Amino acid sequence: MSPLPATPSQTVGPFFHDCLLREDRCEAAASDQGGAQIRVEGRVIDGDGAAVPDAVIEMWHAAAFARIGTDANGRFSLSAVRPKRVALDRGVMQAPHLSIAVFARGLMNHLLTRIYFEDEPSTESDPILRLVPEARRPTLIARHAPDESLTPLYRFDIVLQGAGETVFFDFRSPAR
Amino acid sequence: MITTIGEIVRGDAAVFPPYLYEAYRSTLRRAPRLPLVEVPLTASELTRPRLDLSHVIAEDADLTRNAGTGGEALGQRIIVTGRVMDEGGTPVPGALLEVWQANAAGRYIHKRDDWPGPLDPNFLGIGRCLTTDAGEYRFLTVRPGAYPWGNHENAWRPAHVHFSVLAPSWSQRLVTQMYFPDDPLLELDPIHNAVPDAARSRLVAAYAHDVTQPHWALGWRWDIVLAGPGATAFEAREQSAA
Repeated sequence: MSPLPATPSQTVGPFFHDCLLREDRCEAAASDQGGAQIRVEGRVIDGDGAAVPDAVIEMWHAAAFARIGTDANGRFSLSAVRPKRVALDRGVMQAPHLSIAVFARGLMNHLLTRIYFEDEPSTESDPILRLVPEARRPTLIARHAPDESLTPLYRFDIVLQGAGETVFFDFRSPAR
Repeated sequence: MITTIGEIVRGDAAVFPPYLYEAYRSTLRRAPRLPLVEVPLTASELTRPRLDLSHVIAEDADLTRNAGTGGEALGQRIIVTGRVMDEGGTPVPGALLEVWQANAAGRYIHKRDDWPGPLDPNFLGIGRCLTTDAGEYRFLTVRPGAYPWGNHENAWRPAHVHFSVLAPSWSQRLVTQMYFPDDPLLELDPIHNAVPDAARSRLVAAYAHDVTQPHWALGWRWDIVLAGPGATAFEAREQSAA
């Protein structure tokens, strides 16, 4: 049977807040929320280096999901259970990472990226990260930002375009 | 209209719009300029955590009443219904659909929408529901109006409803917009036109007389086909690897 033609994407536009960011929006089931917490803070920046004040970021891993908006300065702050290593295929392991989707006015389809951690030893050998040109890998690695809180804090900016442009992925079905 | 169309597309370029589409001005400084990095789907993209969906209640799907004022939204009452399927035609149950739209006059409640169209105190313009075991969804709402925007001189968005689809597989995540047929604004709209020509009609609902309810509401049918493998693809791979 020939596949059905897929529905195209459209931009999230500027008026999503009351719907996508409503206070009682859906979150990961609480029973999966055990474990140490981390925090990731950063900014979303456009090709002029200007803040993107109307982006939505979705973050997920096996036990966490969050959807947050950027503020007037393009800033976001994510809290999550620290991710664990996850299988790639046939016993090959990936380094711990947060999966990220970015939606915004002007993005005709959401962008997909990942947040890895500089203080995680397995990051260097991650099989997906190794498919990224070496010079661009640092755009995917969150930097530990020591502060006085008990929750480890990391910094990670999302640069949509231009100098230091974040690596965005196109995930494809693996050849069988 | 002549416009610069970028080559960077995520997914099938016959389906999905390019990130850079000059006629839609907001893409100019937000579209990535470096090629996307092609990598294989992994467990991270083929699954998602269990979500707490207990906040989603039946009343959320009735946009004519869910402002909670006791009053009913003004405008042409419509039912929008359809199925969410994967590319093989298999229904996708348990998907979270979230919708938002302008009111019948073309005005959003949003603080950044300040054109002089009237607000409706009985209309929030937001709704949500979960797809049934057959992949079906259904909203009761009012037909949205067109509204002006600042993209170019005398620019108007065609009437549309925004849809967000959160399926059990992240690879199938979709945010899109549903339009109405025979809208003269469609061919003037760069957001609609950024979609490859052959795929545009898939964003347009069809009038469905069998959905129309006598003396009550007009019916529109719009099916959603999610690109990409579902969560079952991950389970199949796990089994073949074992």
